[in-house]
Amino acid sequence: MMKTKKGWLITLLVLVAMILPGTAALGQDETVELRMAWWGSQTRHDQTIAVIELYKEQNPNVEIIYEFSNWDDHWTKLATQAAGGDLPDIIQHDYQRIQEWVTNDQLLPLDPFIESGVIDVSNIAEASLAGGRVNGQLYGFNLGNNSETFIIDVDLLEQAGIEIPPIDWTWDDFEAIALKIQEELGIYAIGGNLHYSEHWKGTYITCCDAYAYNAEGDGLGYTEEQDQYFVDYLNLIKDLTDAGAIPPIEETIARTGLSVEDAYIVTQQAAMEYGWSNMLVAVWNAAGEDRTFIEHSVPSMAGGYPRNYIKPSMFWSISKNSDHPEEAAKFIDFFTNSVEANEIMMAERGVPISSAVREALLPQLNPAQQAMFDFLGAIEDYNSPIRPPDPVAHGDINSNVYLAQVVEPFLYGQMSAEEAVALLRQEAEILLAQ
Amino acid sequence: MTDSALRLPRRGSRKRKEGRSRWGENNLAGYLFISPWLIAFFAFAFIPMVLSFALAFTDYHILRGWNFIGLDNFQRMFYNDVRYWRSVSATVKYVVFAVPLRLVFALGVAMLLNTNRRGVAFYRAAFYAPSVVGASVAVAVMWREVFNREGLVNAILGQFGQPSIWWLGHPDYAIWTLILLAAWQFGSPMLIFLAGLKQIPEQLYESASIDGANGIQKFVRITLPLLTPVIFFNLIMQLIAGFMTFTQAFIITNGSGRPLDTTLFYALYVYKRGFETYEMGYASAMAWVMLAVIALLTAIVFRTSSHWVYYETDEGI
Repeated sequence: MMKTKKGWLITLLVLVAMILPGTAALGQDETVELRMAWWGSQTRHDQTIAVIELYKEQNPNVEIIYEFSNWDDHWTKLATQAAGGDLPDIIQHDYQRIQEWVTNDQLLPLDPFIESGVIDVSNIAEASLAGGRVNGQLYGFNLGNNSETFIIDVDLLEQAGIEIPPIDWTWDDFEAIALKIQEELGIYAIGGNLHYSEHWKGTYITCCDAYAYNAEGDGLGYTEEQDQYFVDYLNLIKDLTDAGAIPPIEETIARTGLSVEDAYIVTQQAAMEYGWSNMLVAVWNAAGEDRTFIEHSVPSMAGGYPRNYIKPSMFWSISKNSDHPEEAAKFIDFFTNSVEANEIMMAERGVPISSAVREALLPQLNPAQQAMFDFLGAIEDYNSPIRPPDPVAHGDINSNVYLAQVVEPFLYGQMSAEEAVALLRQEAEILLAQ
Repeated sequence: MTDSALRLPRRGSRKRKEGRSRWGENNLAGYLFISPWLIAFFAFAFIPMVLSFALAFTDYHILRGWNFIGLDNFQRMFYNDVRYWRSVSATVKYVVFAVPLRLVFALGVAMLLNTNRRGVAFYRAAFYAPSVVGASVAVAVMWREVFNREGLVNAILGQFGQPSIWWLGHPDYAIWTLILLAAWQFGSPMLIFLAGLKQIPEQLYESASIDGANGIQKFVRITLPLLTPVIFFNLIMQLIAGFMTFTQAFIITNGSGRPLDTTLFYALYVYKRGFETYEMGYASAMAWVMLAVIALLTAIVFRTSSHWVYYETDEGI
């Protein structure tokens, strides 16, 4: 009998030894531990870590544990953490995804922290916050303003004898310019990516002041007769591809995943590049100081509405399971309103939303940042309102329907534009209705 | 630790009871010692497997929770999911070509290396190297470059006046770059073949030579039959590995399955459903279908083995 007791004693000791390290932290003092996660480039990681260090210096009682990765890994990691109820306190979030996360009750509304003054919004226009609202409540705090843009290599356009088009240029203008670039310089007019779903959504903003999805998020937001607008768009892309002004789909797909150094706008194999406005800093950095770029609006449809809208580049959100939401909110306030912090980041996440921060940064901008500020200033007078965040099904529709079944088969010549757009309607409606 | 020879004799009437408490004393320590492995096995293999089997019958979405939906996942898979069948066809095509190619390469190289010339150890190591780094990211990244527009393959073809091709963007060619990569990573089956070749008695070849057999005859009549157990083993292993291929496609085509889902391997699609659109229930169901298919194929290969696998010990030489 003694022996058995000893055996159990050993078992108990081993178990205690295993649990002990986990409980050791309980007895300690009032240090607040915040966990944080974001996606981005190396530049962003370095800058954000520097800001965190600065914050810790000023708030010695706060310990911030951070993890960063690229876009795909960020969401994979968050998904598993959400399943385990173990989300970081502060999460970098995205306009395309926030609706899904709010609908599934993973995020905390930030309005109480604004009311209590923990987050100071006195220098922030309501329009800059609006994008982070879901069902009337603020779940995402805008980290900078962004807009879709065509980056233009000014020197190449000049070489081709083309003037910079006006801000309200149309797809017809673009077609003429693209063909001329191809003809004069023998390079691509634009580096590609004109088949992304942003252009599907954008088509219905500019043609019809509508959106790809309806307000309820349970169906498409445009009529069957309006299918024709996207048919026309797809045919334009196809024609320009055949003319050699846009890289063929084989090339685009074989080149996915390359870094910015290999982008055609950087290697001077294309005169324009489509992307989001905060991208220019990286592009210019890779291209070298002796080049000259500007950011320009995305073409609209003749007689239509402006294609561009001002979008929150990304958000800070606080997760529902955060133990210290108020401390997390304090950090968000620091990130947004501290001039010192923003001097480290220099608008890498888009144009800062605080007017005081913007003014403080203005004299210090490099040419790329200056071009980005200029562009967002210009489209302030020429834009469409931002649409509600994409419905929950958007991620599924985008990867499993839009790209895999519709646009890529069309570009590979497997179906006509009419067939592609009809299939898109049919399949998207099924997923949206669920 | 549980060696019964060490037990002291006990009185018969208490034997049973004593035996049970002894199990407790003696084995408990043993289980404690292997507990790191046991805990990991249950936490990371057994329990997840049981859970994933249960999840296969739910609509579990990571953010949303789950409902029991019976066989709906399977119905969706078989009848309503275009991409599912594309992933099946990509995987089958890959396995059908990559597995035999890899085995042929492996056997060929093993035979070349089955000599006692000087420096052969170096070549063995060199040929094995691609497999050591096999599933690693670096090899896949390098392979991408080989088939790039300015890559090695286009450079060689350019010498013969062929125009450059975007190998990884072309729906007819992209999967072949992955099949070739698989064929090139023949290291582990090669080592096993090599071991098998060394087992074949030298006298057989000698007597065949005396009887006037040429190289091909020796290969067909001696080497192949005596190697069938090894071929059998390699075939099973490679078949299973082939169906589970993930890393190569994940890196080389960015995990997209592009172009046109021709490289959308089954495991990759499971991953995309599980981690990109968060449909864990659906992904679990797909994973269990794959398990069933692999088990079935393995069973079929086992069944046929009695017709073509030759074990020396059955009849002796």
